[in-house]
Amino acid sequence: MNLTKEQLLTMYRQMWTIRHFEDEMAAAYMEGKTPAFDIGSGPVPGEMHLAAGQEPVAVGACMHLRKEDTVVGTHRPHHFAIAKGIELNKLAAEIFGKATGLGKGKGGHMHLFDVEHKFSCSGIVGASFPPACGAALAAKKMGKDWVAVAFAGEGAANQGSFHEALNLAALWKLPVIFIIEDNSWAISVSKRQSTAIPDNSQRAAGYGIPGVRVDENDVLAVYEVVGEAVQRARRGEGPSLIEVKTDRLYGHFQGDPELYRPKDEVPTLRANDPILRFGKQLLEQGFATQSDLDAAREAAKADVDAAFAFARQSPYPAPESALEDVFVS
Amino acid sequence: MTVVGIIANPAAGRDIRRLVAHASVFDNNEKVNIVRRVLMGLEAVGVRKAWIMPDAYGIGRKALDALRLNLEVRFVEMSPRFEEGDSVEAAARMVEAGARTLITLGGDGTNRAVAKACGAIPLMPISTGTNNAFPVMVEGTLAGLAAGLTAMGVVPLEVATTSTKRIDLWRGGTLEEIALVDAVVYRERFIASRAVWRLDEVKMALFTRAEPWNIGLSAIGGYLEATPLAADEGLYVEMGEGGCEVLAPVAPGVIHAVKVAAHRRVRLGERIVVVDCAPALIALDGERKVTLKAGEPIELCVTASGPRVIEIRRTLSYAAAVGAFIRESLPTDGKASRSS
Repeated sequence: MNLTKEQLLTMYRQMWTIRHFEDEMAAAYMEGKTPAFDIGSGPVPGEMHLAAGQEPVAVGACMHLRKEDTVVGTHRPHHFAIAKGIELNKLAAEIFGKATGLGKGKGGHMHLFDVEHKFSCSGIVGASFPPACGAALAAKKMGKDWVAVAFAGEGAANQGSFHEALNLAALWKLPVIFIIEDNSWAISVSKRQSTAIPDNSQRAAGYGIPGVRVDENDVLAVYEVVGEAVQRARRGEGPSLIEVKTDRLYGHFQGDPELYRPKDEVPTLRANDPILRFGKQLLEQGFATQSDLDAAREAAKADVDAAFAFARQSPYPAPESALEDVFVS
Repeated sequence: MTVVGIIANPAAGRDIRRLVAHASVFDNNEKVNIVRRVLMGLEAVGVRKAWIMPDAYGIGRKALDALRLNLEVRFVEMSPRFEEGDSVEAAARMVEAGARTLITLGGDGTNRAVAKACGAIPLMPISTGTNNAFPVMVEGTLAGLAAGLTAMGVVPLEVATTSTKRIDLWRGGTLEEIALVDAVVYRERFIASRAVWRLDEVKMALFTRAEPWNIGLSAIGGYLEATPLAADEGLYVEMGEGGCEVLAPVAPGVIHAVKVAAHRRVRLGERIVVVDCAPALIALDGERKVTLKAGEPIELCVTASGPRVIEIRRTLSYAAAVGAFIRESLPTDGKASRSS
């Protein structure tokens, strides 16, 4: 692995940015929603899906991407957006429904869209696969070495769109990488109860493309595997399917009572925190001192605090702006 | 009652080598089929009980689905953590339960884990991994028959099995790890995706065996100075300039010209000291495992303490020669007949 100290610390800091962002969002989201949970009230109304614990997938994968590469995320999209380089202020403002947000406050948490960074996501499960194929086809037609990455959860791999997209990508040899985040739970349904073939990477065999499973929620393991798949796609050798075992530290949505989850699961996952493990590796290998790690974590916190302050201070869109940007002229 | 254990590793055959080499995606459903065929083989030769390791994929559970058997099949009572330790624990429990042979489905890594706990119980290793020098490509039915005949005592152990070698890894006077085929010093700091594929980063290698028909790192030794399993020696190879280049099949579909500075046979028990190699790590049977620390010596040595392995051709030939597969024919009136 040819990562420099600066790159490793960037990854570490980015993981903390995601974690702080999600933790801050968890707190902001609950404002005004108690004592009886009211999904429509507070500064962040609507559903909220947070990705704390899943930082290794987004950061390990997006380290290989350039601005012109496309990322299509899921209903749990913040970690992908941050790892793809979207400006934190615009991201936070969008989720708060403010006029300064990515979509001028009209999209919200599940409908982030950034033309500049070629990032989008959707609240529809399994909707990331086809648009990623579209972006990859465009890159191929234009003769560029750009790639597209479709992220999705393990439950989404049971949707027809997954199979349709894999078929098309394999048939047309598209530069797309399908990355499945296996966090064990499709909302409240365990993988065992939902999936005939529990290892989704093996579904690659059905389409004649490489399939790799990463068994650990480890940012460097993801980095190595996705790096090879991205290079392969850039060389014009076609798509790859990767499934990564990762961990969801929050519920499916904020307010989820998580009655389906064994009580000791989350404490066990938190005891094996992927960011802390990565920090320990950097220390042991002499890539960072404790003060380097502390500084990265604090800088990440400061960035997130500033983004949330920006979002809170920003104005709401004017009601009449609902009629703007409806059609492209 | 004769008991046989089955350990099928659901994680074998799906790592990064699908991308960096031309390794196949080894479908776990095929492992289900192999376990079925193994069970049919065991039952046919009179084994009465089989233990199976529970796994995340449910290989054993799926194998039993709609399979009619007189053989009693039980799952080892354990909580799988979905890691290498599962195979170690399952092997230990099966040995405790009196298993006479253990059948493994996996690659060199799977067998390495099982070897940590199997003691003197012979293995029937079926290849389903990526770089396989230790297990053999064999039809599951035949593996079941051979493992069953050995467990039942139809074929004596001295005929059915061969002893193997292993590499012991010592750190500070403690035996920390073992390998069945190879240990290499790899110039990399992180375990990450575990596999070893950048040959230019391999600094040195120690092989228990190096045979020209091996795939994987041991093929380097196989073409350089063949060191058979039966030899009371291992092979030490130092990579680098100043010697020769060996063209070796180091991974499926990857034939690499490897620069070798020096090589020599090592005696059993001879300690190779790995020191001043940090930052680097040691990969065992193709998987990055042990991180080297500056100034801390690690010692490697080839020993004769590897697990005993069932030789399928010898076992089935012996069984056939003693008539183990022959039943007396019945006349049409149903009375037993004797030809003489």
